[in-house]
Amino acid sequence: MNAKRELPAKENAIFKNILRNYEHKQYKKGLKLADTILKKFPEHGETLAMKGLFLNNLEKKEEGYEFVKKGLRFDLTSHICWHVFGLLYRSDKNYEEAAKCYTHALKYNKSDMQILRDFALLQTQMRHYDALIETRTQLLQAKPTNPPFWIGVALAYQLVGKYDIAIQVLEAHESALREQSVNFEQSELLMYHNSLLEESGDIEKALEHLETVEPKVCDKRAWKVKKAEFLLKLNRLEEAETAYRLLISENPDNYSYIKGLIAVKGLNADNLTSEQQSAMLKIFDDIQSDFPRSTAARNLPLNYASGDNFRNRADAYLQSALRKGVPSLFVDIKRLYSDSAKEKIVEELVTGYEVSLEKTGHFNEEQDEKVVEPPTAYLWTLYFLAQHYDKQRKTELALKTIDKAIEHTPTLVELYMTKGRILKHGGDLEAAARVMNEAREMDLQDRFINSKCAKYYIRNDKIEEAEKILGLFTRPDAASPLQDLTDMQCMWLTLEEGDSYLRQGQKGKALKRYHTVEKFFSDIFDDQFDFHTYCLRKTTLRSYVDTIRFEDNLKGSHYFVRAAVGAVKAYTSLADKPSGANGMDEANMSEAEKKKARNKARKAELKAQKENKPPKKEQVKEEAPKKVDVKKPTDEDPEGEKYLKTTDALASALEWVRPLEQVAPKHIQTHLLGFEIYLRKGSMLLALKALVQSWTIDKTNPQVAKNIARFKEAVSANPPANADVKAVIDSQLATLA
Amino acid sequence: MNIRQATVEDLMSMQNCNLLNLPENYQMKYYLYHALSWPQLSYVAEDHKGRIVGYVLAKMEEEPTDVPHGHITSLSVLRTYRRLGLAEKLMTQSQKMMVEAFGAHYVSLHVRKTNRAALSLYKDTLKFNVEGIEKKYYADGEDAYAMRKNLIDTKKSVPRGVVEEINPAVAAH
Ligand SMILES: CC(C)(COP(=O)(O)OP(=O)(O)OC[C@H]1O[C@@H](n2cnc3c(N)ncnc32)[C@H](O)[C@@H]1OP(=O)(O)O)[C@@H](O)C(=O)NCCC(=O)NCCS
Repeated sequence: MNAKRELPAKENAIFKNILRNYEHKQYKKGLKLADTILKKFPEHGETLAMKGLFLNNLEKKEEGYEFVKKGLRFDLTSHICWHVFGLLYRSDKNYEEAAKCYTHALKYNKSDMQILRDFALLQTQMRHYDALIETRTQLLQAKPTNPPFWIGVALAYQLVGKYDIAIQVLEAHESALREQSVNFEQSELLMYHNSLLEESGDIEKALEHLETVEPKVCDKRAWKVKKAEFLLKLNRLEEAETAYRLLISENPDNYSYIKGLIAVKGLNADNLTSEQQSAMLKIFDDIQSDFPRSTAARNLPLNYASGDNFRNRADAYLQSALRKGVPSLFVDIKRLYSDSAKEKIVEELVTGYEVSLEKTGHFNEEQDEKVVEPPTAYLWTLYFLAQHYDKQRKTELALKTIDKAIEHTPTLVELYMTKGRILKHGGDLEAAARVMNEAREMDLQDRFINSKCAKYYIRNDKIEEAEKILGLFTRPDAASPLQDLTDMQCMWLTLEEGDSYLRQGQKGKALKRYHTVEKFFSDIFDDQFDFHTYCLRKTTLRSYVDTIRFEDNLKGSHYFVRAAVGAVKAYTSLADKPSGANGMDEANMSEAEKKKARNKARKAELKAQKENKPPKKEQVKEEAPKKVDVKKPTDEDPEGEKYLKTTDALASALEWVRPLEQVAPKHIQTHLLGFEIYLRKGSMLLALKALVQSWTIDKTNPQVAKNIARFKEAVSANPPANADVKAVIDSQLATLA
Repeated sequence: MNIRQATVEDLMSMQNCNLLNLPENYQMKYYLYHALSWPQLSYVAEDHKGRIVGYVLAKMEEEPTDVPHGHITSLSVLRTYRRLGLAEKLMTQSQKMMVEAFGAHYVSLHVRKTNRAALSLYKDTLKFNVEGIEKKYYADGEDAYAMRKNLIDTKKSVPRGVVEEINPAVAAH
């Protein structure tokens, strides 16, 4: 033992209290006690480190680091000092550095449970699964009476695909458990066990296991789903049919249950003989007569029916929806338009209704004279047709039709929303926003219309107005509407604003928004951390494993892709023509114009600052913890100048594409973006690779054709010196035809 | 519209839907907390392209002083998909799971006093009762009705192990 580390009995007792204070989150108390020791022993490394830890937890991060580092200097071989150093890094989300500290700590105390436990969490977060297996095994050996340690080992093996060991570990654990009455945790554990058998590919065994655990499972629905799936996979069709019919009776609106039943019947949706088609339709019709409230059973047959059968079904479906007044009818039907024959039939039907309803009040001539349709049927028919014409981009006809509907019923918000949409599609963004605002004013209580209206303003680059509108629904105590929506990780707004600033040539602000989205994603990645502990105790392991996999592919999200598209555009244009400090495109401006534009930007900024009055203090009761960071520093860089100052814009752009190449290699955007960067960097082989990939994914994408031409041009302007490179390029280019 | 149990992959879309529809919003971690504590209880409505157009986010209240019961944290449907019965179906599925997987005795929720559509859905369609009024429940000062609906008559509750709730703040160890 290090002599300097040894404290006299009295101080040693205090030090133990300090450790306890930390465990119980009594940071202020701990800090005081640490100071009493330090008064006498100012160079006691472990106390200094603990003081740093308390400071860090009391929001004094920098001082915290100082003390921990000082402590370490006095006692480099203390596992406590290293552990504490690791904890600081971890709270900073610097997992790499934290892991290094834990490794040091374990050097000086191989079997400290707390360090091992923390290390396991880090290794999970960093996906160091081989190392995780080791740590988890050590923990289990040290304390085999702790159930989460067994689960931890099984999980670690699952994550590297060693199912047999994972299953053995679980079996050992389960056999040691006492007999218990049915409870959720045990049920979850058993269903997790079952999922391992399934993932290992042994369906026979999985089914057998499922049957034996049945009495102990309270997640009955999941149990039934698994049973149906296994039976189908094992080709035990009769039993599978029973299983799927049972599921359908419990939720007749679940597509996957219905699809299961179709699969049981051996029907492949893509290639139906007319006999199979009738069989398929009969399945739906049966479900519908058993469960009249199933919309799935009414709606899905439209996908499979054709010709007159389709016409009859569509006729009944449309009439009933128009009679009831279902605003979403068109978004529901338009999927069928991928088949132009169906599109034509729908058009014939609905234009027929329009004429007939106007003339006679009936959907068609043959209708029983005594049945009177509600007057709104005509209205909903016009509404449908307006959207139909809009889809076909017959803007004028669409507008004429929606105006007719508005004349008929001037109080229906939906009509104005649709008119706004038509105008937007027609390119009149200003009128679109104006009409959307009319709609909003007709229903001030609805946040949906408020959000849509704001979006339309942003599309028309009126961000200030948009934020004011959004402010009607954001928290009154937030610093600004934007701040509230940023705190709440609002993707759509942040992306729309980014795109708008980019259109306006304000690249700094645009990049700031895109990087805000990136921050949402890194926060969402960090969010999983606490669950590495939580789920092992709660045993919700199936969902936990889903979470790990979801987080692994997080950046494949379309939100991230959209942000990447914008950010790469901004950065590549910075690389093409470095702009003024405010991020505006000044390349094509005269001096006077530049001055004017800069002034305008400044004025807008000042105005915005004025409008963001200090937040009102208000006592609010929350439904849930909205973490509002009171001490959040005010925005020091509202213009995003930091991003404009990048010395290597292409490298900054590449940081956006790298994660996409990893998790979204099948997404064409990944390669279109990569191409933009590699071409500019002159990395011709990488550009070529990106080009080939994008071509393979979708050769009809117009950008791909353009890129081929750009690439050829670049090569002929700057032929590669190396003959091998040239050969590769030529041979690859030859395949792109 | 497809009505199915929500998965972790749905959470971002649910968050988006919530932000478009309702003033009570939550960070992603709170959605994760739901999905990793009561994975059976949240449901989504999905269109044919796989877009989430409505959701119900639900949880169990497990206070030692009360029988186990469910709670609706949030429910909404995009305006363009309303009046299709989606909310009703989402709620019905979630309630079934509360009973089946967790032995819930009843389900509770809060709703704005002026939210006509939601009130009619809960009261008339789903048969909830008003339990009381919570003054100034919402951030803007509006009152809430506390509503509840009995889910079982005299069924034994399923015994539940006590599990600590996760601390939403970054636990330091
Ligand atoms: C409340 C809300 C979730 C209802 O969703 P929905 O899918 O349209 O509701 P459903 O179609 O399932 O409606 C079922 C029944 O509820 C009642 N209802 C729903 N919307 C109604 C409205 N606007 N006015 C009157 N009753 C209504 C009706 O009785 C309806 O049955 P019906 O269509 O056969 O008459 C939806 O309007 C919404 O998302 N609103 C904004 C968010 C919100 O307020 N959430 C609730 C917070 S507590």
